[in-house]
Amino acid sequence: MNSPLESSALFYLGPVPITQAVLTTWVIMAVLVIGGYLLTRRLTLIPDTRQAALELIVETIDIQISETTGASPTPYRSFIGTLFVFILVANWSSLIPGVEPPTAQLETDAALASLVFFSVIWFGLRGAGVGGYLKSFAAPNPVMIPLNMLASITRVFSMFVRLFGNMMSGVFVIGIVASLAGLFVPIPLMALDMLTGLVQAYIFAVLAMVFISATVNDARSAKPPSEPEKDT
Amino acid sequence: MTIDFWGLGLQAINVLILVWLLSRVFWRPVAAAIVARRDAAQAILTDAKATRAKADAALAELTSARDGIAEEREALLAKAAKEARAASAATLAEARAKAESLLTRAAETRDREAAAARAKAEKEATELAVDIARKLLTRVTTAEIQETFLTLLLAEVDRLSTQDKATLAATPGGITLVSPTALDGAAQATVTQALRQKLATLPKLHFVTDPALIAGFEIRTPHFVLHNSWQADLDGILKALNHAA
Repeated sequence: MNSPLESSALFYLGPVPITQAVLTTWVIMAVLVIGGYLLTRRLTLIPDTRQAALELIVETIDIQISETTGASPTPYRSFIGTLFVFILVANWSSLIPGVEPPTAQLETDAALASLVFFSVIWFGLRGAGVGGYLKSFAAPNPVMIPLNMLASITRVFSMFVRLFGNMMSGVFVIGIVASLAGLFVPIPLMALDMLTGLVQAYIFAVLAMVFISATVNDARSAKPPSEPEKDT
Repeated sequence: MTIDFWGLGLQAINVLILVWLLSRVFWRPVAAAIVARRDAAQAILTDAKATRAKADAALAELTSARDGIAEEREALLAKAAKEARAASAATLAEARAKAESLLTRAAETRDREAAAARAKAEKEATELAVDIARKLLTRVTTAEIQETFLTLLLAEVDRLSTQDKATLAATPGGITLVSPTALDGAAQATVTQALRQKLATLPKLHFVTDPALIAGFEIRTPHFVLHNSWQADLDGILKALNHAA
């Protein structure tokens, strides 16, 4: 078993090393994109079971976004929804024998946290402009500017560490137990790992939404809204 | 612990690409389907509301029309009742007038018929009384009564004017003396003698019997009749009673 703190390249594309996590991510991407395309090819006005399930997923995510932000879910649906679905599938990919979840690797979680960090900036700029976004760091008063700037980094770092720690530990525990106790003993731990994966995906997505909405709201409170939000 | 920044960047790009792809093939189509169905449902609800509004308006119009019909019906019924009352009153008045006219005419007819009946009864009673008297007198005729009638006849002749007496005396063919019973020779001679004393010239006397006289003597010529009998008296009484009725 390789250390999760170390990533070894399977092969190289030029100077870019392709690790197991990247390869698994590509497979997950392919499955999600192709599956999404196949599932949404024939959407009708009167939904069947398949379409009803898809709409249930989308509406559930929309409700979560609306309840968290109090705003329309349209601008955030793709980003937050994709984060949730990708992290969930990535976490649950550990159930396939021989597959190590990408989220148990440091780079993947760091990449997701980086995307959240930049998405906060992006949505903040879109929602209130440069001035409004920068003024959001002075909320509730300018004394908080250093702390807010530091918080914008640390909160993302905490997300990254939380996800990495939970998933890496799960993989570790299952690997150790499987190596010690045989084939079927880790099954309860795998079920627990599924729950952990679902909870972590939910937490990551909700925290991302909270960070984005907090920044957008702070920025809007600093500057009146001038234009409607657009879908990404 | 080292961080593979190539891997970090590659994963970030991978997730960004996944966000973009899923946005195109999953999130937008499903959200669009939800919005389309919501819009369709909203359109159906709007149509239903519009249809309901139309139905309510039609119902209100129908109710108004029904109320109008009811009011018109009430008005027509009231008018018809009023006209019926007027017609009934007119008919009743006309019938009452006709009835009063009929009653008047009936009363007049009744009075007229009663008067006629009364007159007829009186006439019949008079005739009956005269008949009774005639029959009674028939039973009580005597020689003394005849002598009285002869005296009365002579008095009548005596009351005639001279010219009438001369005319009577000059009657061609003689005069007829009518008596209820046949006169014997003595009686004829007595009558002849008495008349000769009253008339200067006595024409020939023809003695004729007529029981209808009951009692009395009458002188008859082609142009003159001197009534002097119960029959003449009774006829006079009958005529007078009839005239009085």
